[in-house]
Amino acid sequence: MLKLILSRLALAVPQLLLLSFFVFLLTYLVPGSPAAAVLGAAATPESIARVEAQLGLDRPFFDRLVDYYVGAFQGDFGTSYVSARPVTELFAERLPATISLMAGGMVVTVIIGLGLGLIGGTKAGSLRDRIATGMSSFTMAVPEFWIGIVLVLVFAVQLRLVPVVSYVPIQVDPARWLQGIILPSIALGIAGAALIARQTRTAMAEAMAARYVDSLMAAGVSRRKVIFTYAFKNALVPVLSATGIVVSIMLGASFAIEKVFAFPGIGSLMLRSVTGKDFAVVQGGVLLIATMIILVNLILDISYGLINPKSRPQ
Amino acid sequence: MSETFTSNFHSVEAAPPQRSTNLGRILARVRRQPATLISFGFIVLLAVVAVTAPWLAPLDPTASDFDSVLQPPSAEHLLGTDDLGRDQFSRLLFGTQIVLLVALGAVVVAAVLGVPLGLVFGFYGGWWDRIGMRFIDMAQALPGMLIGLTVITIFGRNIFILMIAIGLIFASAFARVTRATVLGERGKLYVEAAEVAGLRKPQIIFGQVFPNLIGPMITQAAVFLGSAIMIESAMSFLGIGLDSDTPSWGAMLSLAVEKQNVAPYLTWPPGIAIILTVLAFNVFGDGLNDALTGEKRRNAPRIRGGAPRAALSTAASRATQTADAATGATSQALVLEARDVTVALNRPSGEQVNLVSGVSVSVGKGEVVGLLGESGSGKSTFARAVLGMLPAGTWLADGTITLAGEEISHRSAKELRHIRGDRLGAVFQDPMSALSPVHTIGAQLIEPLRIHKGMSRPAARARAVELLERVGVKNAAGRLDDYPHQFSGGMAQRVAIAMALAAEPELLIADEATSALDVTTQSQVLDLILDLRDEFGMGVLMITHSLGVVAETCDRAAVMYRGRVVETAGVEKLFDNPEHPYTAALLAANPVNAVGQDRLATIDPELRAVIDASIDAQAKKEAVR
Repeated sequence: MLKLILSRLALAVPQLLLLSFFVFLLTYLVPGSPAAAVLGAAATPESIARVEAQLGLDRPFFDRLVDYYVGAFQGDFGTSYVSARPVTELFAERLPATISLMAGGMVVTVIIGLGLGLIGGTKAGSLRDRIATGMSSFTMAVPEFWIGIVLVLVFAVQLRLVPVVSYVPIQVDPARWLQGIILPSIALGIAGAALIARQTRTAMAEAMAARYVDSLMAAGVSRRKVIFTYAFKNALVPVLSATGIVVSIMLGASFAIEKVFAFPGIGSLMLRSVTGKDFAVVQGGVLLIATMIILVNLILDISYGLINPKSRPQ
Repeated sequence: MSETFTSNFHSVEAAPPQRSTNLGRILARVRRQPATLISFGFIVLLAVVAVTAPWLAPLDPTASDFDSVLQPPSAEHLLGTDDLGRDQFSRLLFGTQIVLLVALGAVVVAAVLGVPLGLVFGFYGGWWDRIGMRFIDMAQALPGMLIGLTVITIFGRNIFILMIAIGLIFASAFARVTRATVLGERGKLYVEAAEVAGLRKPQIIFGQVFPNLIGPMITQAAVFLGSAIMIESAMSFLGIGLDSDTPSWGAMLSLAVEKQNVAPYLTWPPGIAIILTVLAFNVFGDGLNDALTGEKRRNAPRIRGGAPRAALSTAASRATQTADAATGATSQALVLEARDVTVALNRPSGEQVNLVSGVSVSVGKGEVVGLLGESGSGKSTFARAVLGMLPAGTWLADGTITLAGEEISHRSAKELRHIRGDRLGAVFQDPMSALSPVHTIGAQLIEPLRIHKGMSRPAARARAVELLERVGVKNAAGRLDDYPHQFSGGMAQRVAIAMALAAEPELLIADEATSALDVTTQSQVLDLILDLRDEFGMGVLMITHSLGVVAETCDRAAVMYRGRVVETAGVEKLFDNPEHPYTAALLAANPVNAVGQDRLATIDPELRAVIDASIDAQAKKEAVR
């Protein structure tokens, strides 16, 4: 077990270092200088030079690189060009909202995705399989933010079942927190559900055709138990490996969902910073999201090892 | 017609596949897919709308009209107006231009960046491939939105940068698909032939391999177009795509959110337009992919085993069955008595065929009865009929199955479940897949004990250890928590036998139980089955294609051919004095007799034709009756 975790960690660390290096290089890609971009049309060579000095952009490449990594290891990712607040602080404020949204979305994704996949996969080729597959193909074509708009229109504007202003931190009021994340979670969940449904369907259909299903049925194990205990655990192996991509898709989709529901997560911070040319915050956000993806994949890799005995280091 | 094309498609040729025939075949397939045709029609319609938007649109999509702000749909403004009084219908039509242009541009960027990378990785392999694919993996793990957003931050906003931003997202996917296709093509003979002929790598890549990439690339492009439209809409919705004056569907939705309380009608048209467009590209891409790979329907119902072309009970088999009563045990001691078992299957064409027709087999207590036949003869289907586990789409059309005097052929699933594993055990072919690979053997072994013997978990585990020891697994207690892949094939089959015998059944069905094992292991496992037979006094139905297994283990055997039993006899009589010409031919084709000969004997095709003709004649006679 420990060996499994260590071996996966050993793969994640160089990925993280490489990614952070690319993120560091981003400011060098900006045509002209980030300082000029921040200042906009009113920039003069003097004001650009002053801002560059202020932000430390005039220092040599190697010094900046060392500073970047020394800071990063202490949790310091620079300060916002616009608000002059530490990037770490800005994201820390908004992380709970994003995590709430992602967690809620994941619950919906798992329920819809596994549900549709199991309905189809346990009876491949049947009418109900074709209906379930058709439904997941359809959701693949629906923009999740549009579902969000429609949900708000129906449940908040027309039926007035939930408040339009959504997010309340969980420590303030858990009931209103839950109320606030239900609609955004449904919209976000649909973004990931189609892929999970496809994977589950294929994996489950394959598992149901496997010989061990015959052996267990022949031993008198009920069909329900064969499906949900034995075939399902086998099907989880490929489904888990698709989950990393699903989390990535959902993180990307969460930006638009945040806009629909006026959700104060990292997506809205990122958008504001893109428009305001706040490179430090965009850099921090890219690094944070990439790190989240790497961490999720690390956790998935470990659970993969727990489920699939063949992938454990011997 | 399609059959000849298919065989052509699968054969490996020394020359590049002929594209004209391929194209014809693909088009023919597409023509049979109504959904693909409809979606293609819709895409054409979109293209026409995009080109003719300036003439179709009633008003200028960017012209403000402050006298008619936020007007609901009316005759004048079909889809209403927004907060600047701009006509939504005109904006929707012009939006088609933006959507198609950006998506096409993005796919071109993705292909220009991704395809060369994929070609290099796929063709040169080695370190190029290993390092390159690492980067591709990393790029693909990131949310597409994050990549797009970063590009926009750095380079600003305009239509070309938007194309590049979205194109970058899909470049890695293009590289991956190209690489996979190249790796597939590389192994083919025509590439090797070109290499032998001394062509240089770039010449091979661009002259020989590249043309074969076009098909898969078009398919990928269609699918990516759908995804690119999704991303473009999301980015325009977020306000990081094009500016809000440009009529794009995503930006229209952005406005719809702002004015949700006063103008809910703004929500529907752009959303539905996006859904239909993406759906059209996805369905078209999938359909094209199916046509290219030659699959008619991905979810076609599986039909197990080769179905004999025609079937029905023969007079000959009835005659031998009457004789069977004389050679067999008395009916009181019979553990299995199957009479006239007929299993039918509905072909997709609606035609009904019999996989097993009128098969009668009996097994006495302590008796080992062989069911001998070539693959596709229906012997495994018969075994499944006895177990009540016929595959979907097949059913017991006729006959009775009696287990120790009790009729079991028409029991409910629940009743059958209590019979299976308890009074009826089964071991199947291929021990490595007979146990779930992600569960310990202990967990699987205790299932029948808990179900049929009502044992507690610790008691069942203790009994499982005894059973494992009995079937010859060493250090049984220590191996209970091991997984199937930690066992050899022979050992895994012993575990499967232990599971089948856990509840001490009256009948064991061994369906090709030893066919996948090497000869030494095979005879060890067969000896084990015989020993267990002596110990538990159960009957064994030994289903096999091997004459050796029958000779070694069986008291009697029934020979199956094309879904029917052609002869049943004691083993000695069967081998020394076969009655049916098929049995005789089968014995003559035994590879053991081929020792010292130039080639293995097979059943003479002319003789087979004679046997087939006699069976067909009998089938026809019965069909008339």
